[in-house]
This record gives sequence, structure tokens and C-alpha cells, in this order.
Amino acid sequence: MPILAPRLVPLPYRLPPAFPSPSARCMTRIMDATTGSQERRRLAGALAAVASGDREAMALLYRRTSAKLYGICLRVLGSEAEAEEALQETYVTVWRKAAVFDAGRASPITWLAVLARNKAIDRLRSRRAPAGEDLDAALHVADEAPLALEVLEGEEDRRRLTGCLSELEEKASAAIRAAFLDGLSYPELAEREGVPLPTMKSWIRRGLLRLRGCLER
Amino acid sequence: MSTRPPMSAEERDLLAAELAMGLLDAAERREAEALALSDAEFRSAVARWSGRLAPMLDEAAPAAPPERLWSRIEARIAPPASNVVQLRRKVTLWRAWSAAATAIAAGLALILVTRPAPPPTVAGPQPALVAMMQAEGSPARLVATYDPSSRRLIVQAAAGMAPAPGHAHELWLIPASGGKPHPMGIVSATAPNRMDVPMPMARDVAEGATFAISVEPPSGSPTGVPTGPVIAAGKLTRA
Repeated sequence: MPILAPRLVPLPYRLPPAFPSPSARCMTRIMDATTGSQERRRLAGALAAVASGDREAMALLYRRTSAKLYGICLRVLGSEAEAEEALQETYVTVWRKAAVFDAGRASPITWLAVLARNKAIDRLRSRRAPAGEDLDAALHVADEAPLALEVLEGEEDRRRLTGCLSELEEKASAAIRAAFLDGLSYPELAEREGVPLPTMKSWIRRGLLRLRGCLER
Repeated sequence: MSTRPPMSAEERDLLAAELAMGLLDAAERREAEALALSDAEFRSAVARWSGRLAPMLDEAAPAAPPERLWSRIEARIAPPASNVVQLRRKVTLWRAWSAAATAIAAGLALILVTRPAPPPTVAGPQPALVAMMQAEGSPARLVATYDPSSRRLIVQAAAGMAPAPGHAHELWLIPASGGKPHPMGIVSATAPNRMDVPMPMARDVAEGATFAISVEPPSGSPTGVPTGPVIAAGKLTRA
């Protein structure tokens, strides 16, 4: 029966033979986490500490990111009271799910921003359809999935996205923006534009494929 | 489930975008979510789309939230009071999650059934504490049981833990009062880990404290705090 080394045993711990030296892959992961800007590192470190239940790290994370995330909630919801609720939901989720964040693959601020956006849109939907189905589940998956490292970050990336959106047909880029920033679904977009649902779907789908191609160029 | 022909790579990626953006209706969404649960590649595609579109969020001007908001959040993340119903629900979930966890969960359920609450008139030993460790997005499930009278701690992996070449799993204790995690040593992924908790530390192994498992280099965290991802964590509650 292996014995759990107590804290008082000096480092390095005596290890069972099942643990050989670090693999190259493991070391790469550790190094990945240390690259990137200082702020990014600091936020990633705070998220890791939050994952282990560190309240001080949570307070630090809130101080450094709440203005940005509150701005996003305000933009989507347009009401201070609603934005406050969404922001609260966002940070409670951060507290519960910080362990899912993977500093080797994701940008902390992008992860947080998408989470806030999803919570805000969730709220928007429940306001529109108060007696509706489980709307929270809609964005649940996206909440949990770590963002890839190639995600866009900073001014440069924003310019690129804006540039690529402007290369699309006007109606496609407007619909994609309305879906992402205003939380409109296919049926709502179709109704707003007065086109049949399949037409709206095909505008957006064509637009998304072109957008992906442009961003990957 | 579905009788439709298999999706092309392009259709799958578009579905990922639609899920990330929230465009789908309820039925389509449920199907896409089921796919995301079973398919890591699809999950990454959803995340990539969120990342591609995220710079749009920079259009929103930052705004300071009202002061009172932080105290509301702080109150909501406070350690929950011990709750047998909640624990029982967790046990049920665990049983569904993993066949490997079933034996342990059943054991815990038995404890719950046979000992709903210690009779207040009997001055007996202090109640045992249990922590169910898990993290969303991680398959690892561990159970820690602690007997305060003997200061004996047992940590057992129930599921999702395999001996990992090149790194170790380290156990951490975060006292209920918060603060820095204390390293408690490397845990085996395959066998039960037993330890007698030494006295100054034993005071922190109490209701509301959190156990967490992080992935570390083979000799444990070089810094004394977790450096790798936390793959499971759980609060100690009364068994």
C-alpha cells in the first residue's frame, strides 16, 4: 500500500517507481504556460489558484477583469441591473469552473470574456422567453471548452476580425454580429430581416465559412 | 439517435460555430451538445469559434461595476453548509458517471442511509468527513475520507486516474478559512493512499476545507504551490 507522503517529509518526495522523469511533452506544456505577456501569466496564475479554492486569487482576478467583463455584460444587456446579475453569474461560474481553464491552450482574458458574453446572452434569452426551456444549457458547452491558443487577442486581432467581417456580404456580417453581440438566433434574425429561415441560415453559414478562410489566411 | 447521413467536416465545423454563437433551436442544440459531450475534436471546434469571434467583444467599453457586487459574489462562493441531501445527490451522480466509482459511492450511500445523523444524546467520536473530488472537463474522480478521532486520511481514485508517466498527482489541502494550499504529498492513481495527518495540520482538515489534486512534475510541485492543472477538487463535508 503506497504511503501518502505527509507534508513534513522534506522535498523531494520519495516516489513510487511508477513515476519516471518528465516527458518532453510535459515539459513543453510547462514552458507554454510561462510564455506570453506578464498580465496573461498573472491572470492564468490567478485562475489556477482559484481552481484550488484560493479566495484571495479570486478577489485579485475580480479586480483585474471585472471592468472589462461588466462592459461586455452592459453591451449585451443594455441594463445595469441585468448586467450586474450576469456579471455575478459569470464570476460564480469562474469560481466553480476555473479548473477547466488550460493556460497552455487558452488566453485567460478571452476565456473570461466569452464566459461573460455567454452568461449575458443567456440572461437576455430568459428575459425574452421567461417560461421557456432550459436556456442555460445552450451555451454550456462553449463555457467549458478551453479556447485554442490561436484565439485572437489584442488590437491586431480585432483589426483582423473587423477586416475579415467587412469582406463578407453586408447582410452576412450584420447577421453574424447580431448573433454574437445581441444573442439573436436563426429564427429571430430571419424575422428581423423578413427572409425565410433557410435563407438566413445560408447567409450566415456561407459568411462563417468565408470568415474562417479569411482569418486563417 | 439520428437517422441522417454522417456530417461532412464542413458541416460539423459550421454546427460548432452555430453552437458557440447560440443560433440553434432547442432540438438542434441538444443534438449538438450531445456531440460535444462525446467528441473532444468537436468541443475544440466550438472553442475555436468562440475564440475567433471573441475580439468583437473588445467593442464593449470597460465599465466599473458597482462596489456592492463583489460582496454579493463573495457571499455566493462561500463554503456551503454541510448538506446530506446534496451529498446524496452527488453520490447518485457519481454512480452514473463511472462504474469504477460505484463501489465507493454505494459505500457512502450506505453510510448515509445507516447513519443519517449522529444522535445528539450520545457523546461519541467526531463524525467522519468526506470530500468528493472532481472538476468539470476532467475525468478524474477521487474520494477522500477522514476520521478526525484517529487523524487517518484515505484518498482513493474512483475513476479517470491512470498512472501518468512523466508526472505525478499531488494532493493539496486548502483550509476552510482560505489561504495558500498546503502540499500533502503525491498520491497513487491506482491504490488507496493512507496517511496519518500530523497534528498542526490536522486542525485544518475540517468541514469546509478543500482537497485538490494537481498535475505536477514527478517530484511534486517545485514551488510549494500547485503549478499544473487542477484535475479534481472537493470540499470536506460530514459523511
